[in-house]
Amino acid sequence: MQSLSFIILCPLLAAGLIALVPRNYQVVFRSLALLSTLLSLLGAIRIFAGFDTGSAALQFEEQVAWVDSLGISYHVAVDGINVGLILMGAVVAFAAVCVSREITARQKEYYLLLLLMAGGILGAFASYDLFFFYFFHELALVPTFILIGVWGRGEQRNYATFKITLYLSLGALVALVGLIALYLEAGHQTFNLWSLARQLEADPIDPARQRYLFPLLLFGFGILVSLWPFHTWAPLGYAAAPTAVAMLHAGVLKKFGLYGLIRVAVPLLPAGVQSWAEVLAWLCLGNILYCSLVAMRQKDLNLLLGNSSVAHVGFAFLGIASLTLLGLTGAVVVMVAHGFLAALTFALSGYVRQQTGTVNLDHMGGLLERLPFIGGVLVMAFLAGCGLPGFANFPGEALVLFGAWQGYPGVAILAAWGALILAAVYMLRAVRVLLHGPLPERWGKVADAPHLWHKLPYGLLLAALLLFGCWPRLLTDKIQPCVADIVRRAEAPPANSAAGLARIALPPAAAPALARPGATDGLTASRHPR
Amino acid sequence: MLLAFLGSLILWARDATGEPAVTWLALGTGTGGLQIELGLKLDPLSRLMLLVVTGVGSAIHIYSWGYLHADRNRGRYFAGLSLFTFAMLGIVLANNFLMLFIFWELVGVSSYLLIGFWFARPAAAEAAKKAFLTNRLGDFGFLLGIILVWAALGTLSFTELEARLADDPAALGAAASVAGLLIFCGAMGKSAQFPLHVWLPDAMEGPTPVSALIHAATMVAAGVYMLCRVFFVLAVPGSVALELIAWIGGVTALLAALLAVQQNDIKRILAYSTLSQLGYMVLAVGVSGASRDPSVAMYHLTTHAGFKALLFLGAGSVIHALHHEQDIWKMGGLSRRLPITFWTFLLATLALCGVPPLSGFYSKDAIIARTLESGHHGLFALATLVAALTTFYMFRLVFVAFTGPAKSQAADHARESPPVMTLPLLALAVPSVLAGFWGIHRVYGAQYGAEPAAAGSWAQQLVEPFAHAPLAAGAGLAAALMGWLGAWAWYRAALQDPLPARFATVARWLRDRLYFDELYERLIGWTQESLARLADGVDRWVIMGVAVKGTHGTFELLGRLLRLAQTGNLQTYAFVLVAGVALLLFLVMAR
Repeated sequence: MQSLSFIILCPLLAAGLIALVPRNYQVVFRSLALLSTLLSLLGAIRIFAGFDTGSAALQFEEQVAWVDSLGISYHVAVDGINVGLILMGAVVAFAAVCVSREITARQKEYYLLLLLMAGGILGAFASYDLFFFYFFHELALVPTFILIGVWGRGEQRNYATFKITLYLSLGALVALVGLIALYLEAGHQTFNLWSLARQLEADPIDPARQRYLFPLLLFGFGILVSLWPFHTWAPLGYAAAPTAVAMLHAGVLKKFGLYGLIRVAVPLLPAGVQSWAEVLAWLCLGNILYCSLVAMRQKDLNLLLGNSSVAHVGFAFLGIASLTLLGLTGAVVVMVAHGFLAALTFALSGYVRQQTGTVNLDHMGGLLERLPFIGGVLVMAFLAGCGLPGFANFPGEALVLFGAWQGYPGVAILAAWGALILAAVYMLRAVRVLLHGPLPERWGKVADAPHLWHKLPYGLLLAALLLFGCWPRLLTDKIQPCVADIVRRAEAPPANSAAGLARIALPPAAAPALARPGATDGLTASRHPR
Repeated sequence: MLLAFLGSLILWARDATGEPAVTWLALGTGTGGLQIELGLKLDPLSRLMLLVVTGVGSAIHIYSWGYLHADRNRGRYFAGLSLFTFAMLGIVLANNFLMLFIFWELVGVSSYLLIGFWFARPAAAEAAKKAFLTNRLGDFGFLLGIILVWAALGTLSFTELEARLADDPAALGAAASVAGLLIFCGAMGKSAQFPLHVWLPDAMEGPTPVSALIHAATMVAAGVYMLCRVFFVLAVPGSVALELIAWIGGVTALLAALLAVQQNDIKRILAYSTLSQLGYMVLAVGVSGASRDPSVAMYHLTTHAGFKALLFLGAGSVIHALHHEQDIWKMGGLSRRLPITFWTFLLATLALCGVPPLSGFYSKDAIIARTLESGHHGLFALATLVAALTTFYMFRLVFVAFTGPAKSQAADHARESPPVMTLPLLALAVPSVLAGFWGIHRVYGAQYGAEPAAAGSWAQQLVEPFAHAPLAAGAGLAAALMGWLGAWAWYRAALQDPLPARFATVARWLRDRLYFDELYERLIGWTQESLARLADGVDRWVIMGVAVKGTHGTFELLGRLLRLAQTGNLQTYAFVLVAGVALLLFLVMAR
């Protein structure tokens, strides 16, 4: 059970089984989905617990060659960066299946697609082969569109489906072009990230080419993560998506873009990152400030949450742009924390919608009276959203701010304004209009989550937020060695590759001039006998 | 809570110090790294503060039991109170800046939850939101200040910072003033200093024991405690932070005392009085730069915690007896009906006004004396004026609410509260009377390296202020007397407030709190709200409308144009095919 393939295959196999079960065995679909995601979750917990903290090496590695001629192999492994993400993904997947109780139509197809999505997500985070990395992501992405289109809600469902499909396909396409270009430029005939990283470290791609390769990946992945100004699909899409899909996508699948940046773009294209980091730092302010301001004006709870989710992702971007140990570690912590948080808030808003039939904030008020448990968790989730210590978002955002201060103090100040003030403004406003105040008569029949089993998904996500919030070392100690490696690469190249380039590019006549300071060195002298 | 109090007493008795810690976050090393410990720092400063928090806290927990005995949400209430106590003890014991910030935020949130305890009342819900947001504004500066200190010195541990600044006072360089002021921003939010003072009066929407514990005795004093804790950062040579802090404290003290004169809600009067006293403490920190010893601020904090908590609990007892009537003009004659409440309340009032030999006299006198010693004559005059105002508004309250005829039905039928509420009153009366003799300032002084002066006899302690700085003591006393005379002349037997009739405009301005709330509302409305509206508009119309829909429209138009070609008519296809062949042939042939 302590195997990554087990985690990935559980949901995928269950999806296959569901396809074979006749349509009228309704109870089987849900049970199978619950069982498989639970097994996956247990597997992920075991891997997280068994992870050897403090080492940057790959662990729990499994590799099967697939297409030798192109260098494609099925290669899964974890290091400090993805071990937390896989755990987060597994928790969210299980919680998402738990809250899918509301779905009554076409259960067979629904659970099949949901499990495909879950399996794809986990696979994408575990893969160390660029081909499978991309393949698993698409495996998760395509069901998303269908799920929103068929089981979605609200009048804008069709428009939202249309929009999210176009945006994400475009993003994925740009990223694919970038990945293929990277593969060709590297010229090592391998899709394996680990060996690519080793080879490119010794022999980096020409910095000028890195500079045009990097934006392909940055904007391709950026669109997937709703980087400003390519963010408008996100709030609309999440407002229209069924609860479980919003949880899985906003919580986990969306992190794929960030993960791709940290895993592929930053370590493999160090010169590219350096020339684009400043652009990224300013763009992420668009996420943090601008989307927070937009969130302040929303009347629809889901649009508010969607915008806030876009704003939170900005911190992960800022962490990446800072290119410091603190910032990048913070970015990974933010990714994990935001995954739990986004899933939790969408799950809760789904519950509120199921009970009241609306998420329009103008019609709400006083719900805490009727929903002591759900309302209480919602208050905590909102407080976590404004970066309250004790929840996992705080260490992440604080680390990002500390990290960003070194390179971009101006951006860090504005980002702190977004984190501390703007987030508090819209989150508390939501608490005020949704939960506080007198209870309108028509919500007299709204009922709280009845028993433990119904409370489980919310409790699980909240517990995870609290666990990593109170004890961030669980994550940071694992992340640190891997991130240190990335930062070292991103810092080293200007010296290394510039010198390397000079050596290659200079005509032979100029070479001795370069070598003259070391002329006493016997080796140099023998190579250029003059 | 009582256990915590006992524990603090034991630590106190054993004179314990130490700094146990576990690592909470450790990333990197050297200047770029960040090492955060979850550490507890026990020294004279935190040891006495522990006693204050747990002592006052215990009394208030017991009192709450009686005050909220009929509320079915008692569980939520005590959970909030416990969270608060935990966080507050965290602040007291934190051994580094980030830990302090974490607990700082946690007391903020517990205050938010408790102000909004009766969340169904719109006023309480709004007040909770306002309190949290105003605090956040201060915390924004605080966090930036912390980052600035870290960027300059590479550590956040108090012990290491102090050592580093002692080695090289200029280590902070030009950033010293900025860092000091940014850190003070945090205190400005939490201790409700001008211009962030607006949240505290509104916070009185919470249950009264909460007001007593959080918004009078402990949390709001956390700002002052924090300033004393990080005094070494503020007091580096070349920093103008302290000077500004002193004046902000002075302005707050005066402003709040003025506003208190025209309030009619018993809790709001006390809230403004709290503000004014906090102003005193901040002022005391600010003028301690020369002596490098802000222990007078901590002295006043300690005595104030006792008597202000007592005042609030007394007010709570009145409100409880009058079925939630808070307007002092509907009280009257309560001294006969609520004897224990009255006598303890009066005692605390006298202490607050600085009447010897009660505790408030000694601590307030120490502050006034310190302004003189450090050569801040303007602030000395200001502090003395505030002392007069304090006596005036407090005795206005006492005369109107407790003496004279009963001004409403409820006041006529009031009954004394049960013992579970009156016993804490009696317990808190003890420190209000005696705290002046305990030599508290010497305990705090030990923190800042002052050599412990030999404790004199009782009699010496009693007259020490007169011997030490007779001018300050005399001025303070005279001011208190004048305030009392004013209140006696106007409010002894008044049935309604005589001031609005005499000074209509001034009284109206004061009653409406000098329009700060309205001003801020407008300001926020103009800036943040319109920015939000702008961003929303841009999002809706420019990005989503023009850019996205425009791209969409272009492709759609192209699609429509191309559709014209796809008619499905075989003859058209055949014609186009032939025309194409003809064109190709022509091109080839024409060559």
